Formats: sequence, structure tokens, C-alpha cells
Amino acid sequence: MEKSLKTTFISLLALTFFATGASFTATEGLVAIMIILFSVAKFLLVGLNFMELKEAHNFWKIVFIMYAFLISLAYMLLLK
Amino acid sequence: MAENNKKSILYPPGGILIWIIIYIELITYGMAMVALAYYGSQERAIYHADSLLLNKSIAMINTVFLLSGGYFAAMAVQFFKKNDFGKTSAYMLWAMYSGIAFLILKIVEYYSKFAAGLDINYSPFFMNYWLLTGFHWIHVMVGVIILFIIRRSIIKKQHEASLEDLEAGTAFWHMCDLIWLLLFPILYLLF
Repeated sequence: MEKSLKTTFISLLALTFFATGASFTATEGLVAIMIILFSVAKFLLVGLNFMELKEAHNFWKIVFIMYAFLISLAYMLLLK
Repeated sequence: MAENNKKSILYPPGGILIWIIIYIELITYGMAMVALAYYGSQERAIYHADSLLLNKSIAMINTVFLLSGGYFAAMAVQFFKKNDFGKTSAYMLWAMYSGIAFLILKIVEYYSKFAAGLDINYSPFFMNYWLLTGFHWIHVMVGVIILFIIRRSIIKKQHEASLEDLEAGTAFWHMCDLIWLLLFPILYLLF
């Protein structure tokens, strides 16, 4: 479990650096979609791994993933 | 016992009450962030110009602080499950340090914005910036206090401390991460 948490943490840092770096090149189009997808990936990694939602009842996982999906969809439709 | 209960709908990690709070917070912030995205999409050029006045590098370092705090808090829970209270306490302390570093760096950012005249009345973008990040700052401060109280109870009464209390406290802490992970792109990266 500790190894899985460390992998998650490194992935979170990598996604943060990539998203920030990408935002210096552009803030619209494909880059915007990539930044939003990276943010949602981080959101899901924290919830499912750090908060251990992956071990919880499916209801909690589905509500969490639905929330992330709806927010990312709204961001994409409004800001792509 | 708590481990066995986790698959029950009534017992998410940390207990159902903290998850009701987390979803209320996420929905409230979610509505505010979608409203910001909507108004920003209507006046993209103005919001873009205002967004350029923010410092992405400071925000990225703050993201690293919060993610580090989340990692340390998750590790603390794992060591608590192994009854290793020394490492639990140490990881909680590092989580608190990460939170305090976030709070201090945010104050530095606030000071520079305030000194430059970019206050809450400067523009709609900055009104959103101050309100959303200000309330988030208060949440992180509350999270640090919660971690402090739980850590103290673990140090003083090791055998009375419950996993559910620790999981609830760290769930609140992770909630601050979750909110920031959605605030960071909308305020700093996407306009």
C-alpha cells in the first residue's frame, strides 16, 4: 500500500508540472483540454487512492467519478 | 471492524458524516467554479488579462505543498493501521508542516496582490479569486488544526485513538486538496 501511495504521489507531481508547463504555451484548444484532463486525473487519484474510495462501496465511487466527470465536462464546454 | 465495514454504503472511509460534508463542500465550490468558467467564457479577453496578473509558479509550488500534505496524511493512516503510532505521528506532523507552508506562501501571494492594488474590487475575476481562494485558505487552516488535535490525541492516548477519527480528519484534509485541484486550473491555467 505504501508503494502504491508513493506511485500516486509521484504521478500527481508529474501531472502538476506538465499541466503548469503546458499552460505557458497556450490556454485554449487541445492544451486546455489536456490541462482539464490532467486536473481530473489528479482529482480521481487523490479520491480513490489517498482517501481510499477505491475500497469503499460502489455508490461512493460512482458519485465521486460522476462529480469529476460533470465538472470536467463543464470546464471543457466553457473553456476549450 | 472498520476495515470490514468499508464496503457498506453507510461506512465510507472516515464515516458517512464527513462524506456528507465533503460533498456539500464540493457541490458548493463546484457551482462557484462553473459560474466563474461561464462568466470567464463570456469575457475571455478580460479574464485572460487578469489571470496573467497571477503567479503560476507560486500556485504550482502551493499545489506541491498540498499534494505532499495529502501523501503524508495517507501514509499516517497506513501506519496507524499497523499500530505504528510513532510513524503515524511523524507523518501527521509532516502533513501539518505542508499545510502551514501552503498557508504562508498564500499569504505572501495575497500580500503582493494587495500591494499591487489587485483587491476584491479590482475586477470580477479578482472578486472570484479572493473569495474562492480565501475560503479555501480558511479550510486549510481548519484542516491543520484538526490534524494537530488528532495527532495530540494519538500521542497522549494511543490505545483510545480510533481509526475512524483519523480517517475522518484526513478526509477533511484531502478535501482541501480536491478543491484546490479544481481551483488551480480555473484560476491560474485556463484563462
